Amino acid sequence: MKPAAITYLVTRTHGLRTHLISSRDIQFLAKAKSLKEVSDSLLRTEYGTEISKLPTKEVDAITLEQIFLKTLVNRFFFVTREAQGKMQDLLTRYCARFEVENIKRVIRAKHSGEILEEPNLIPLPREYTLVNFPALLNAKDVDEVVALLRETFYRPLIERLEAYRQAGVTMVLETALDNIYFGKVWEIASKISDGKGVKDLVGKEIDLRNLLIAFSLKVRGLSPNLIQEILVSSTYRLSESKLHSLTQARLEDAPSMLATQPYSRLASEVVNIVRGGSHIPFEIPFLKQLYQDASKALKTCFLDAGYIVAYLLLSECEAKNLVAIAIGKQLGLPEEGILKSLFVD
Amino acid sequence: MSVGRAAVTRGVLLRLREQIDFVKRGKELLKMKRDNLAAETNRLLAKVGTRHEFDKRLMAAYETLKTAYMTLGYSRIQSEASTVGLLEAKIRPRSVMGVLVPEIVQGKKPTTTSITSASAYAAAEKLNGLVGELLEIAEAEGRIESIAQELMLTNRKVNALERVLIPNLLEMIRYIEGRLEEETLEEFFRAKRVKAVIRRAT
Repeated sequence: MKPAAITYLVTRTHGLRTHLISSRDIQFLAKAKSLKEVSDSLLRTEYGTEISKLPTKEVDAITLEQIFLKTLVNRFFFVTREAQGKMQDLLTRYCARFEVENIKRVIRAKHSGEILEEPNLIPLPREYTLVNFPALLNAKDVDEVVALLRETFYRPLIERLEAYRQAGVTMVLETALDNIYFGKVWEIASKISDGKGVKDLVGKEIDLRNLLIAFSLKVRGLSPNLIQEILVSSTYRLSESKLHSLTQARLEDAPSMLATQPYSRLASEVVNIVRGGSHIPFEIPFLKQLYQDASKALKTCFLDAGYIVAYLLLSECEAKNLVAIAIGKQLGLPEEGILKSLFVD
Repeated sequence: MSVGRAAVTRGVLLRLREQIDFVKRGKELLKMKRDNLAAETNRLLAKVGTRHEFDKRLMAAYETLKTAYMTLGYSRIQSEASTVGLLEAKIRPRSVMGVLVPEIVQGKKPTTTSITSASAYAAAEKLNGLVGELLEIAEAEGRIESIAQELMLTNRKVNALERVLIPNLLEMIRYIEGRLEEETLEEFFRAKRVKAVIRRAT
């Protein structure tokens, strides 16, 4: 029998899921004539409260993006607050993706000596982060940022500091952060009772991230050993040995090497993009796959904790779609161009 | 006796002849300068001529950037962009036939290796690949602007010398030569008359 707390949370999430904007409405928004029409249409949704506070003249893609991110963070942390026990631990760790993104932004800014202010970070509730962001923002360099993270989950970053100094690229630290994040989430997801759905989604996300990194760095011409170092150490369906041979092989051989679907199809899409047959960004097929899996999980994990993770992923997908629409409208991109970047069923 | 302000004397004639020699040499030099500037302009026009095709590539790179913006959002792109190093370039003046033109010395190109996102990296690489050519075209356009100004001035100078100053000087020389010839004849005639009067008196 499922713990009552999880059943409650899943039921609560079923209600929250109804707040998500449907694929049809997202497509309708992409067809809007202007950004103003998009923001007006969103007034009837969960974003309406924040958007209605904006003076009409101040409605631009940057402001809307902040609102979408703020709503996304609120959705993540609302579910986390409602959870209990190990599920709360998992969701707290799962929500750390925003914290990780903020740390990455601080590291990038400190690396180049640029001034970064708090509004440039994703707003996070203080109670769910051990990271002292005001202190990080005032740090003089990357070394100090890493030193300030010593007492948090991100302590292993210290070990990568020397590699960062040698390579002189922030990617070393950024991928280490991803490794720590996914490692922790995977560890807690494995402990969740009846957490098959959760493990499946987290595992697929790890696999997709590893594939994306492996392919994009191969295209850049990085050495297989370096790619291997950067990949997330936890794996799901793609074993370490498979990833290792993938980094060694030619890109054209990847589809045949990855016998499991949908990874083989993704590899074919990547080869097609690299050959110039498609102009969509590299990340799109991977993100589309992830959100398709989440959509599927809503049906298969109907009463499972996986439903909660699927909801969170779909909230993220919605935020990404809305950001793409707002920016696309602001930049005056054609409807077809915007639709191509959307993650819809 | 004078033409304009010049007195009709042999001294003036000599000075005018020297002046016309000097002006003709000046005109030749200006013509040479004009030809060189025109040749330089033609050379630069070939570079600027690639601009149309370059604009297309630049627009394609901007499209990639726009797509990256859509995929990642403004805040993420802004953050990724902060890792890109600065472009090093110096602009210094260079003299081409006495005309100061800009010369862009390209230094280190921006490094994009820290960008983690594939779409941001693709956009950055495309734009980075075009920066060098963009600077070359900007340099050529800047040079053409300065040279065209000087070419116009030189052309005016050559025209003024050819059509106004040299013809005026030649006219003046012809006039003075004519007047001097007349004066010589008058003098010769006067001398003959004086000689005849003296002969009759004796």
